[in-house]
Amino acid sequence: MASRSVRKRCAVAAVAAAAVAAAVLSLLPAGAQPAAEPGEPAAKPIPRNADGTVSFAGTKDDVGNWEGPPGTSLANNVSADALAPNRLNLPTNLSVADVPFQPWARELYDQRQATFTKDDPHTRCKPSGGARLFHTPYGFEILQLADAQEIMFLPVGSPHSWRVVHMDGRALPENPAPSWYGMSVGRWEGDTLVIDTVGFNERFWISREGVPHTAQLRTTERISRPRFEQLRYEITIDDPGAYTKPWSGGWNIPWSAGNEPFDYLCQDNNLDPARMVGPQE
Amino acid sequence: MSRTALIVGTLGSTLMVSAQAHHSFRAQYDAEKPIEVTGYVTKIDWMNPHVYFYIDVVNAQGKTESWAFEMGPPHMLEQRGWKRNSMAIGDELEVSGTRARDGSLSANARTVKLRATGQILGAASSEGQTITQGTTQGAGSGSPPAR
Repeated sequence: MASRSVRKRCAVAAVAAAAVAAAVLSLLPAGAQPAAEPGEPAAKPIPRNADGTVSFAGTKDDVGNWEGPPGTSLANNVSADALAPNRLNLPTNLSVADVPFQPWARELYDQRQATFTKDDPHTRCKPSGGARLFHTPYGFEILQLADAQEIMFLPVGSPHSWRVVHMDGRALPENPAPSWYGMSVGRWEGDTLVIDTVGFNERFWISREGVPHTAQLRTTERISRPRFEQLRYEITIDDPGAYTKPWSGGWNIPWSAGNEPFDYLCQDNNLDPARMVGPQE
Repeated sequence: MSRTALIVGTLGSTLMVSAQAHHSFRAQYDAEKPIEVTGYVTKIDWMNPHVYFYIDVVNAQGKTESWAFEMGPPHMLEQRGWKRNSMAIGDELEVSGTRARDGSLSANARTVKLRATGQILGAASSEGQTITQGTTQGAGSGSPPAR
């Protein structure tokens, strides 16, 4: 129930600097630059690579990475007794009721929600395909390797895994072997990186909230950097095995200034899965 | 020195913690079960994905119990000033946290106080949630539910 006390707690939470920053980001239309107030510093320029493409990295004076916010979701889980969707979610995100689930997929999604996502493969130190990578705790880096014509995604809070996107113009394979991240090819549409991916296995969740999929999944992701401190992420899910038609969702990801990669191996001492029992009543 | 299990109850102060974690907080911990205990450190696993430490606590019946407490990942604790040697085997601690749902003697540590110095450090690995008087709420959002 959206009680007064719950709203009060949200208000308290909003005083946290990170939450305030996130709220400001989310209120901006995609691609918008906030107008600087008199006396405020000008917005940081968006860095660019030698070939003119947008850089998704920091600079020598402004290191950091992108830290995927955990409360974001591809579908807004809005009901009569729920609060507003996460403010970092894209304004175009569908409500859960409008996601074109096939019945079994909706049932599985609801089951994952009802059990507090206790079975999330990510927490079993499995690689996070699809949008799930963009929730990665402790941030992720995007390495744009011009000579190799590749873009690498390095999620820090992971089982030391990475994802590669080929930028050399190759076509998607016809029948790739199923894998965690699939086979990805990318291209630029203006300042937006567009990635098409096929060949996923069924061993991960597309997003932290538990969006299901099948091996028929094909995704198109659109990634842009409308502000220095903001990454906009959107994914279109085309999976006739789980949905009756393609649908899209995404969220904004704040720049986490000062975050640097560090040695993290999820498998090191992962005691949690056995204790993640979910609701007991 | 006495080793005493303290009363489980609502925290007297408002604590705010915002941090990431690799797993669902509420899948593992019950926000309606805050706990405060005092005990002596027996083991420290300064490892990813989360630091665990273990303390011996004497319960109300005089029996010694071994409790496991989870904290954030090492690098996050270090950013908050917690070092690998901030506690040592044998140190006496006052710990407040949130009990595990599975009924085991484990909890998520919210604050840890070193009794010898009175130093208090936050420790929770509550993945972006604000913890307020023993309850959790997703920071800045209500949907999907805090987890």
